Amino acid sequence: MTRHVRTLCILAVLGLAACDDPNPIEGVPESLDAQLRRQFTQWNIVPIGQSPVQDPAMVALGRALMFDKILSGDRDISCATCHDPAQHLGDGLALAVGTGGSGSGPARTLGAGRAFVPRNAPTLLNSSIGMPYIFWDGRLTRFGPPPPPPNVLLPATTSLLAAQAMLPVLNRREMRGEKGDVDVFGNPNELAQLDDTQATAIWQGVMQRLVAVPGYVTLFRAAFPSIPASSLRFQDMATAISAFQTDALMKTGSPFDRYLARDNNALSVEAKRGGVLFFGEARCSQCHNGPFLGGQDFANSGVPQIGPGVGQAAPLDKGRGELLDFQFYQFAFRVPPLRNVELTAPYFHNGSLATLEAVVKHYNDVTTSLRTFDPSTLPASLRDSYHGDAATINAVLASLDGRLQAPLHLTDAQIADLVAFLKSLTDPAARDLTAITPASVPSGLPVR
Amino acid sequence: MAPPAPPTGLRAVCLVVALICLVSPAGAQLIPIKTIPIAQGDQFQIFPANNLGMGSASIALADSLADPFANPAMGTRLTGSRFFGSPTLYSVSRNAGGGRSLPFAVLARRAAWYGGLALALQQVDPSRPPQPDGLFGIGVAVPNAVPPVAVDPSPIPGPDLRAHGNGYAFAMVGRDLPGTRTSIAASALWTGLHALDGVDLLYAGSQRVAQNGHALDLRLGAVTAWPGERGDRTLEALVLHNDFAATHTVTYADTYWDPGVEAFRQRARIEHNVDQTQTWGLHFKYTVPFTAAGWRIGWIGTLNRSSHPKIPNYELGNVPAIPRDPGYTTAFDFGIGVSKARGLATFGADLIYEPIRSYTWADASEPMSTASGDTLAVGAKTIENHFHFSNAVLRLGAGRDIELPGGGKLFGLQLGLMLRSVHYNLSQQDNVQDLQRRLTTGWMEWTPTWGLSLRFPEFEIRYAGRATHGAGRPQATFSPVTWAGRDVALAGGTILAAPNGPLNLTNVNTTTHQISLSLPLR
Repeated sequence: MTRHVRTLCILAVLGLAACDDPNPIEGVPESLDAQLRRQFTQWNIVPIGQSPVQDPAMVALGRALMFDKILSGDRDISCATCHDPAQHLGDGLALAVGTGGSGSGPARTLGAGRAFVPRNAPTLLNSSIGMPYIFWDGRLTRFGPPPPPPNVLLPATTSLLAAQAMLPVLNRREMRGEKGDVDVFGNPNELAQLDDTQATAIWQGVMQRLVAVPGYVTLFRAAFPSIPASSLRFQDMATAISAFQTDALMKTGSPFDRYLARDNNALSVEAKRGGVLFFGEARCSQCHNGPFLGGQDFANSGVPQIGPGVGQAAPLDKGRGELLDFQFYQFAFRVPPLRNVELTAPYFHNGSLATLEAVVKHYNDVTTSLRTFDPSTLPASLRDSYHGDAATINAVLASLDGRLQAPLHLTDAQIADLVAFLKSLTDPAARDLTAITPASVPSGLPVR
Repeated sequence: MAPPAPPTGLRAVCLVVALICLVSPAGAQLIPIKTIPIAQGDQFQIFPANNLGMGSASIALADSLADPFANPAMGTRLTGSRFFGSPTLYSVSRNAGGGRSLPFAVLARRAAWYGGLALALQQVDPSRPPQPDGLFGIGVAVPNAVPPVAVDPSPIPGPDLRAHGNGYAFAMVGRDLPGTRTSIAASALWTGLHALDGVDLLYAGSQRVAQNGHALDLRLGAVTAWPGERGDRTLEALVLHNDFAATHTVTYADTYWDPGVEAFRQRARIEHNVDQTQTWGLHFKYTVPFTAAGWRIGWIGTLNRSSHPKIPNYELGNVPAIPRDPGYTTAFDFGIGVSKARGLATFGADLIYEPIRSYTWADASEPMSTASGDTLAVGAKTIENHFHFSNAVLRLGAGRDIELPGGGKLFGLQLGLMLRSVHYNLSQQDNVQDLQRRLTTGWMEWTPTWGLSLRFPEFEIRYAGRATHGAGRPQATFSPVTWAGRDVALAGGTILAAPNGPLNLTNVNTTTHQISLSLPLR
């Protein structure tokens, strides 16, 4: 028996030596669901909560204001002209057409002697979701300077969104008009006569217009019962518009959102494959991450330069580089959030690409895409403003975002899957928003 | 094969489906199933056993203490009435869990009748992710929690770090049939469960898991013996039914973006997961002496058929991956064992081959389009998992009693080893993606055992211990590498899990100590 005991001891010692770290198990590929949900954790993708409930009186006022052309100097354009519910709160144009234009949506055309707004009108869908930067160059931010535009000091507002609503009325090309303009009734445009530095006077001028309309007096009284009409400020108006945006324009019921809410069946297989690519091999999530799938970063995506340009760089548009003179901000623009992106073509800060497929193919090889950009794909009215000279392209590529410099080598099937994923970000309720357009507004001006 | 383990002991494991089995206190004849090397607490090592220190060898080596709890008809070997107490404690290394049990049992005989009663109370510590080794790792409790953010709208209950209790009640009654050497008996074991070791870890990202369930194990056994020149030949037969039902009330803290405050917040989500499994089992054992020198040889054959009508939504890595699966399992044990008992020395060895077939699936809860463009109707199988196991178990041990001065006093030493080799093939058919995945894998767990005993005419006292190596536990859930686990069934002692992602396991050892006291009742 002693022999047995000895044998056991030897076995035990051998086992201790051999089995301290057992062989790991070979695995099999993760399912698409497992990959996606792991990637969500990696990229901080979480569900979006409910929007805060808004005061109905404030919403009613904001809705009227958003669709009322009385806010514009010439009384010919409202917020909803460029943020048209029929166009999913964009305008369907590559570059926006401001005051003086005619028509609506993609059919809108420039007025005589007018120029395009230099950038695309971004959708207002989910604009109240809480993004840290607003505008393509992120000049309005909750992270402090730079202020918009350099000679305007915004008054305190209830939110970043309300602050944003104060700016288009100051912009001559967008809403205020040029000196000497007359409004649609042939009356002088008093707002356009003011200097660009007189922001407060411009806002007061708009408020004078509003309080002269009995319908607005009623709406303001309901929304701000404690503030006499004479004390109303423009930021109160902006607050009402932001309340309307928060109440009516949040659309986060996409299949992707249902998937985030633990419904594995919400996405098609194609969309899941595309999602795995989006958060993985295609590297989209390196910029489009976080709860909004973007909105928190800036990137030079090698976008073709078109349009009149902005600031000192005109006719080029250096984006955030116009505000902050850092090399990595040259030609960099805000990475847009992607919910409902299917509905908000054309894409990029200047609408230079018309389809999601074109965008994904652009990212597949940015350098080649920029060098071989075909301006015939642009609307006829913009083809002449394409800046495709070698110096411009080289300047853009010189500061191309490092995350985009290597081609992805995606196949056509992978590109299709990515597009399927992007389309899964669409809230069905956002497909037809025409119901939010009021039949009339208190000023009596035409809504369309 | 997966890459070598990093120095920290972390191992990344990719799996599609996992099956884990917990044995019940009357564990024999319930075949354990395990598809990932997860360390289980020795929660169900409650009742006393003679052979615990000898690797639990039991086919050809009788265990007068443990056998009646496995097959009640083995109570026929009772020669008198005895009282047992066997306080047991186990711990999982790296401060990852532990528990304590205090059972009491009385086994008695009166003429042809015999029976027994046992009660046990148990306290199980909450399972925690393994803590780092070294001085700074001592006593640090890391619950399943996500990084802290603002909480809205109502407070989310924090981690439950309290130990929870289970209760066990066992009863058996049997009778020797007159005029024969045959005995029949029946037993029932009822378990009130509020803490199954390790379950907390299977709901990664959860704040707390409240368990409430029961298990009922019914056994009908028979044993018959034929005398021979070298000793008795014996045939044992057993039919068992094990019914398990539990509810896990899991509180999660889900992070979301609150547009109202423009910040990340958390909200509570409570899920009630029902877990049910029924198992039918059939077991035969035949032993025969084959030399005059005390050698015996035995064979066993065991069949378990389990159905899992409801499987909880386990989540490892906070990644719900596959919808809940029903399924069923058919498991066999074919074993051979030898033993030798001569004088004061004892030796036993068992070798068991365990083929297991398991089939689980997921049902479509709504029409689902597939990659090929077809549509799966409601109730159609979206994923089918076929496991083919070829497990093997080796148990061997030796014991030696030493007579102490004074007469009738013995001091015993035991040493043993258990090896469990798990090897399986998995074929997973994903009917949504139109993919088939295959996995062939395995690992080995080894458990050295040891024991000491002191036997006096008035009482016996035993100490036995064992330490299981070769398994691990999931790391903290905020690890960047997570296990996309879901679809796990706790089944009358069995857990079925269907994870399909990488899993971080940290090596841990489970060490069990049992002290048993046996007193004859006059």
